[in-house]
Parts: sequence; C-alpha cells; structure tokens
Amino acid sequence: MKEITVSFLLNGKRTSVTSLPNRTLLDVLREDLGLTGAKDACGGEGECGACTVIMNGNSVNSCLVFIGQIEGTQITTIEGLMDKGEFHRLQKAFVEAGAVQCGFCTPGVILTAKALLDNDPHPTDQEIREGLSGNLCRCTGYNKMIDAIHLAEQGGLHD
Amino acid sequence: MQEFNYHRPVTIAELKEFLSQPGARILAGGTDIVPRMRQGKFSASILVDTSGVKAMRFIEDQGSEIVLGALTTHQETADSALLQNINPALVTAAESIGCQQTRCRGTLGGNIANASPAADTLPPLLVFDATLLLQNKEGERWIPIEKFLLGPGKTDLREGEFIHSISFKPMIGSWGAAFIKVGKRSGMAISVANAAVAVELNDKGKISDIRIALGSVAPTVIRCRKIEQALLGKEPEMALMKEIHDASQEEISPITDIRSTEEYRDHAAVVIIHRALENAVEQAKERGR
Repeated sequence: MKEITVSFLLNGKRTSVTSLPNRTLLDVLREDLGLTGAKDACGGEGECGACTVIMNGNSVNSCLVFIGQIEGTQITTIEGLMDKGEFHRLQKAFVEAGAVQCGFCTPGVILTAKALLDNDPHPTDQEIREGLSGNLCRCTGYNKMIDAIHLAEQGGLHD
Repeated sequence: MQEFNYHRPVTIAELKEFLSQPGARILAGGTDIVPRMRQGKFSASILVDTSGVKAMRFIEDQGSEIVLGALTTHQETADSALLQNINPALVTAAESIGCQQTRCRGTLGGNIANASPAADTLPPLLVFDATLLLQNKEGERWIPIEKFLLGPGKTDLREGEFIHSISFKPMIGSWGAAFIKVGKRSGMAISVANAAVAVELNDKGKISDIRIALGSVAPTVIRCRKIEQALLGKEPEMALMKEIHDASQEEISPITDIRSTEEYRDHAAVVIIHRALENAVEQAKERGR
C-alpha cells in the first residue's frame, strides 16, 4: 500500500498531509493534525454525526471520507470557528441556551448548524430538526439545541 | 481498515484506464463503501476514487431528455429546480435519503450501482424508464435501468465498467409523479417499503398511462406491471385500493428481515402505492388545467 499526499485548505490554512490511503479524514484530523474536536462515537458507520466537519460548505461525516477524497477541498473543523480568540456566535448561543451537557456531540452539532444557517439564515423548527437528524445526542436532548440555533440566528449571530 | 492502492483520476479517460486494472473498484461518495470496507464486507486491491472527475457531476436539460451525471449528489438532486419540474418523485426520494451529511456525499450513480432493494432513487428512475450510459476502456453501451438491476447488490456492470450518466424523457400532457416511503422513523432510516407512481390522464380524466415501481418488496426494486394493467383506463377518483391489492398479490414477494415483516410490507405496499397515486393524480389535474 503506497502513501499518498493530499493538499487542502484546513480552517483557512493551506495544509498538506502524507498518509496511507486507507485512513479517513477523521483519522488524519485526530491522529496527525491534533484536531480532536471531531469525534468517533458510532465506530465509523456514519450514523451519529459526532465526526461532522464542513467540506466545501456542506456538513459531512469525516469518518466516511477517505483522506484522498479531500484533495483540493476546503475543510472547517470546530477548531476553525473561533475568530481572534472569540468564540463563534453559534458556540456562544449553545452556552447561553444550555445546549451543551457532556459535550461529545457538540462540535458535530454546531458545525451541522453552521452549514444549515449558511444555506438558510432563518430555518423553521422543523427544518432545524430535519437538518440535525444525522446528529445523535445522548444527554442534552435536542430542544435546547434548537433554542440555541434560533438564538444565534436572531441576534444575527452567525458569520 | 483493509489495505488498498489508491488512484484519483481527474478525467474520464484516466478513470477508464485505472478501472481496467484487475481488482480495481470504483469509489463515489463513499457513504456505503467506507463503512463496508471497515467491516470487511467490501474489498478492493485498488480503489479508484472519482472525487476528481468533475465531468460526471451535472444535471442537464438536453431537450428531449434530462441527463444526470452519475456523480450528482443526492443533495444536488434534491435542490434542482429543473428536476422538481421534470421528475418530482426523484426529488422527493433524494430529499428523504439519510441525513444532511450523507446526502451531501452520496451519489445517484452510487445508489444505482449498490442495487439495494431499498434504494430510494430507484423507483422514481424506473417509472421514468431511465436509461444508463455505461462505459469502460473498450467502449460504451446504454441499458434500461430495469435490466441493469439483477438482485440485491447485483447488477449487469461488467469488468472495468462504470455508470457515466442516467437519462430519461420528460412526461407531457396531464401528468404527475410522486414518491412515498415508510421507515421505522423519519431520520436516517432505511426504507421498509417505498413506491413511485407516474401517471398520465387523458382528456376524459381517465388513466391513460401509469407506471408503478416498488422497493423493498422483492430482490430488486421492481416495476409492477400487473398493478399498472389493473389501473389503466380507470377513473382515478374511484376507490382503487382493492384493484391495487388484488393485483399486488401476484406481483410482490416481500420477506421478513431486521427492518420489517412480510405481512407489514404486503399491506404497506398497497397503501403507499395508493397514496403516491393520489398525489400524482392531483399533480396531473393541476397540469391539465
């Protein structure tokens, strides 16, 4: 098995990684690049959404993307949402609304919410529920997340 | 994760070349193949990634036909205003697949080549008599989608071949096309049964053309010609549930599996065909005005 080199834009920075091709974007983010915000909760089935990142404006499961497939793409992880030491407005809204409990699903949920709001600045409750259907939470529950997303939206909070 | 050598062609010519190697398998969105490789249920000594082949990702109105590149994602299908006008059943089906994350990665070509009996994009393609353009290093051929599907996970795809594009003709006159599915829950669920119905009404308001396809009730997604025959020429306002039920008994062969039972599928198939028919007829009347 031959290694491959892949170049992409990671949180706005040109990044190049050399890896075996049978690793996923999630593996490389966590093990090679030290970005542990994206999590593995379902064992790489694409069921839980804890590994969600934004790829070219869309939320995707990084556990279902082989590293070669990100050549030339733009990737945003939860670590890339902070701007000049300030949390992103969605992050602040999640704190404000109490939408974070254990925090394990939170990076994935926030990134899914960001892609959702980028495509539709004023989603209905139903659209938010559908948008989050690929993100499982086992402790906080979803109502506070919906409150948080509306909070981010109302304050014109999202970038 | 199993080992493989990886290639990333950017042109169709390169794709044909890489796929002609023994042991080469094609990778589209990866939403199915990546977890299956992790579980050891899919193997490839050479994996040919299509993410760089931009020429197979398009939705085009070519006048007499609509052509979709095999790498069109479900989200792109769901968001297409052109497809909403031409095949609303396909748009509804694409919207219903998985979740946001999987719709942005999963492709139409991947869904077809997987040949799952529960695949959601297949019934809407079958009722439009879609044709697939298959290519390999030796050449190309066209095949009706119904002939392409041979069994669960089995297709007519030959050595080194891949789906280049999918085409179908728009319906004309007073027509409608709808897709309905039932699953265990609304998010992320694989269909327990799904149905697409395309209907055309004549100037007397009777059914002059009808095409019905069902998923998850047979080894492949199937066209239900006996049910179609039973409904042809009928007035859609009539309660057609009995006709659908009686004809379906000779046509479908659902099984009990982890997602549902034979009995439930038998019943659900009739109900969802009827609902899809009602929806399609409503559209047809609207267009006939």
